[in-house]
Amino acid sequence: MNTRTYIAGIFSALVLTSAAPAVAADANDEITRGQLMAASCQACHNAAGANDGVTNLSTLSENLIASQMRAFRDGQRDGTIMDRHAKGYTDEEIDAMAAHFGNQ
Amino acid sequence: MSHFTRRSFLKVAGITGAATFTGIGCAPGDSQASNGAHVVVVGGGSGGATAAKYLKQFSPNLRVTLIEPNATYYTCYGSNWVLSGFASMDDIAQTYDSLRNNHGIEVVADRVTAVDAENRRVHLQGGDRVDYDRLIMSPGIDFNYDSVEGIDESDAEAIPHAWKAGDQTRLLRDQLEDMPNGGVFVMVAPPNPFRCPPGPYERVSLIAHYFKQHKPRSKIIVLDAKDGFSKQGLFEEGWAQHYGEMIEWRAASEGGLVETVDVAEKTARADSGFERVKADVMNFIPRQRAGQIVRDAGLVNEEGWVPVNQQTFKTEADANIYVLGDASVAGAMPKSGHSANNQGKIVAAAVVRELADQEPLNPSSANTCYSLVTPDHGISVAAVYQYKDGAQSGVEGAGGVSPSGASEEFRAREAGYTQGWYNGITADIWG
Repeated sequence: MNTRTYIAGIFSALVLTSAAPAVAADANDEITRGQLMAASCQACHNAAGANDGVTNLSTLSENLIASQMRAFRDGQRDGTIMDRHAKGYTDEEIDAMAAHFGNQ
Repeated sequence: MSHFTRRSFLKVAGITGAATFTGIGCAPGDSQASNGAHVVVVGGGSGGATAAKYLKQFSPNLRVTLIEPNATYYTCYGSNWVLSGFASMDDIAQTYDSLRNNHGIEVVADRVTAVDAENRRVHLQGGDRVDYDRLIMSPGIDFNYDSVEGIDESDAEAIPHAWKAGDQTRLLRDQLEDMPNGGVFVMVAPPNPFRCPPGPYERVSLIAHYFKQHKPRSKIIVLDAKDGFSKQGLFEEGWAQHYGEMIEWRAASEGGLVETVDVAEKTARADSGFERVKADVMNFIPRQRAGQIVRDAGLVNEEGWVPVNQQTFKTEADANIYVLGDASVAGAMPKSGHSANNQGKIVAAAVVRELADQEPLNPSSANTCYSLVTPDHGISVAAVYQYKDGAQSGVEGAGGVSPSGASEEFRAREAGYTQGWYNGITADIWG
């Protein structure tokens, strides 16, 4: 099975969002745990990694990110490394991280 | 166990009174929020540059100054690609242009020579002084040659460490190119803890890749100060698959623990002199400790690393100083660029929240580390970390290494993601 093809198939239908930093804060906002955890995802999952098949999360909807993280975690989707990462997060944490990408 | 010295704090106290202030001093702080406070970041590697960038992202009105002597930073990750010959130094070069021009960070090209913690001020080699409200230091590693006889820092031209990327990387690459077919490359691998745990073993893999193409009769010997190493099973599987008998790894307890190096003869001796290994090219990766500036500032423990509150990376020694990255003691988090990147974000959030009188968050973070066995054979280790019972701890059930016995296609995909990881994380840090 080819995950890259699979990713491309799902995501080509989605509308791209703006290129603004996905985890930027408003000056007066309090930084939340979800925001800080979403910043961790940004290490790999930004526009620069996308040419080599690493998903750019800021182009995806909140629901899709959350559902795919659960699928990786629960063994319903094959991965090379995301299955190993996803097992480290609760439902609540997944939703909190996804919210910081999907809302941009 | 922690032993702090205040020597340097006292040392600089005498000279501060006579010096003049520069234009990059401290703006008056705002007690309500982080707006207007001045945060100084020392060191523009993966940890420091991330901290500077995310301070501005989390709190755009904060004043952030990044002090880094080099205009170009060569990432240690990726430097093994250069040694193998399939990437150039330009491919692993990063600059501070975007941090300066796009992110509102004041980048000062100078070196911090002393920390005056009492007056919250750092002194620069060029003579300037910079005041801070909070100081974040990410000085990386320095070397300690004391545990092996016959070799010291002044021998790094003849026998490179190449464990800080840049001129040392070029030097080792040149020596490998000059080595005759049938020569012997010897790596002396360091004891724990050290920067990039799988790095030495990726290095010999990719040097073997170069030899296989250009000098196939050559031999590689690793003399290790340890009895095991990161991703060992996956590396050994890959070595057998691609390089046959070319790479020989000797554990510390089986004659690998080097006691003496004869620099002129390029010979290492182990096992009380009974083991004698002659090299054509030798790569000596020394024992490591935190960078000089935090040792001078009296922030390190007896082992040479900086103890911190692992929830925030605030130092145990000083409430206004944070230390992150390779120099810090970070529980289960390895000394890696990815760890430093995550820690930079944790520190940025901790500082912004503290300046706004908010409680620290309980952070969760991750490490992702790819290694190449060949340019088309990648392997990885992943982990998720959470602060728990006073330390950064791995979340149970998560993480681990790539499967053993995986298909060629799986390894090729991870090799592709290795490049994606590099492009992504360097954009996140310096982009």
